[in-house]
Amino acid sequence: MELKVNRTNIEVFEGAEIRHALLTYLTRRRMSLKFLEQFDIRDEWGHEVSLDAPASAFTQIKLSFKS
Amino acid sequence: MKRFWIASLLMLLALGMQAGEKKQLHILSANDMHAALECMPRLGFVADSLRALYPDLLVLSAGDNRSGDPLNDMYEIPAYPMVALMNMIGFKATTLGNHEFDSGQEGLAKLIGMSNFVTLCANMQPDAKWNMHVKPYQVFDCGGIKVGVIGAVALGVMGIPESHPMNTVGIKFTDPLQSLQQYQFLRQECDVVLFLSHLGFNTDVELSAQLPWVDIIVGGHSHTQLKGGEMHNGLFITQNKNRLACVTHTTLTLEDGKVVDRQAENITIRGGKNENKVVRALVNYFSNNPAFQRVLAQVDTPFECYEELGSMMCDAYIQEGHADLSFQNSGGVRFETKPVGGFSVQDVLRLDPFQNEAIELQLTGKELIDMLTMCYNNDGHAFPYVGGMKVEYTIDPATKAVKKVVLLGLDGKKLSTKKVYKVVTNSYTVAICPTSRKDMGQGMGKITAQLIMDFLEHQGHVSYNGTRRLIKK
Repeated sequence: MELKVNRTNIEVFEGAEIRHALLTYLTRRRMSLKFLEQFDIRDEWGHEVSLDAPASAFTQIKLSFKS
Repeated sequence: MKRFWIASLLMLLALGMQAGEKKQLHILSANDMHAALECMPRLGFVADSLRALYPDLLVLSAGDNRSGDPLNDMYEIPAYPMVALMNMIGFKATTLGNHEFDSGQEGLAKLIGMSNFVTLCANMQPDAKWNMHVKPYQVFDCGGIKVGVIGAVALGVMGIPESHPMNTVGIKFTDPLQSLQQYQFLRQECDVVLFLSHLGFNTDVELSAQLPWVDIIVGGHSHTQLKGGEMHNGLFITQNKNRLACVTHTTLTLEDGKVVDRQAENITIRGGKNENKVVRALVNYFSNNPAFQRVLAQVDTPFECYEELGSMMCDAYIQEGHADLSFQNSGGVRFETKPVGGFSVQDVLRLDPFQNEAIELQLTGKELIDMLTMCYNNDGHAFPYVGGMKVEYTIDPATKAVKKVVLLGLDGKKLSTKKVYKVVTNSYTVAICPTSRKDMGQGMGKITAQLIMDFLEHQGHVSYNGTRRLIKK
């Protein structure tokens, strides 16, 4: 299953949550996994979504650091 | 003659008033509560307060009421605490979320039988042998307003909801949209048609263009936080983040039997102050559950290091996941020693508290080595614990990089790098190991802590003292 995190294609296992997509994204970018809790996570419409939302319900995720 | 005209005028006025009469329907909706037991007393207070103002309040859930807290999900009757609390709060209906299937059909049928609210799902036909009381729709009379509520659940790539495939064997699932279209007759029979959706926000928006006969979608599944509600293709949609961060109070205004206005507000639940004390007492009762002290197995020799406990976890993944090999990130083993005596449910939840899902992968020996190496790099430079094999590895002391990894069978012979093995690990490990491989993995629909509990219960006695499977060269 594939989705986009900040325009980067991320492949995750079937049944993954947004948390897993972001962990993969951070790992790919060699960023600390501690950043996970510091992100403001939005869907393609700009709505806030939670870390444990099912990844299958999304095609695009936008990340920014919480202000 | 004058009297006749006055009487006629009064009659016309009365008729006119009736024709233009406005009524309001109040809905309190939650979604993806995921067993947030600690928030239920606050939800009870909010429901009571609104009900005092609007006696015909319709309290609804858009599914995934369970799966998120072991106190709920591992109760003697799994997930009964949430059903008892929802009964007390006065829920009228829920749709099925994919997680409602997590304790199988027998478990789900039992819970539905214990619910004072109806379970709605139009796109499934349960196996008759479970006597599962799921209806496609229900019409509610809310103070003279007839409200038709239809439910539907999202289907994953395999055409079933995202739960363990064994949990849905024998259930016939159909396309949500096609299933919904069969209930268009509700438009003629009801003042309001409400779709209780566990399809996710994107799908709700897509379907809105094809459901002009529906007034409102109360949504769930994608944990999307909307500000009140949004109009899409003339259809009003609501949804909140999971675990009761918020709920939505929606007010529909009807004139001449038609919805003419839609307003929705979010009400904060998590962190809110006022609580229903009776609901709190019930939550406290479920939180002090002696079942968590239940001993699953006897520890015959003491666990004296992380590797011994990690090896036991890996053996649980192999045995309960029917795998050839397994591994576990070292950071996921949360205590180091365990003396001789009982290993309880609470001990397992302390050892593996993260609620990670068990994932199965088909990997060649080479692909497994790549994953083990990446796991070492991304999990604090500690080599993962393994099951079904031993591992010889070499680390460059200067760079801390893995130089060489050799997989050995338990008999000491080298494992093939080309052969494909069925490997089980946890979802966190899979996420931090995005290696290049054929199989990205498949969720098993069970958390790893459950595999460990099942393993201990099946073993009865465990002894891992001196177990060493990682050989650092």
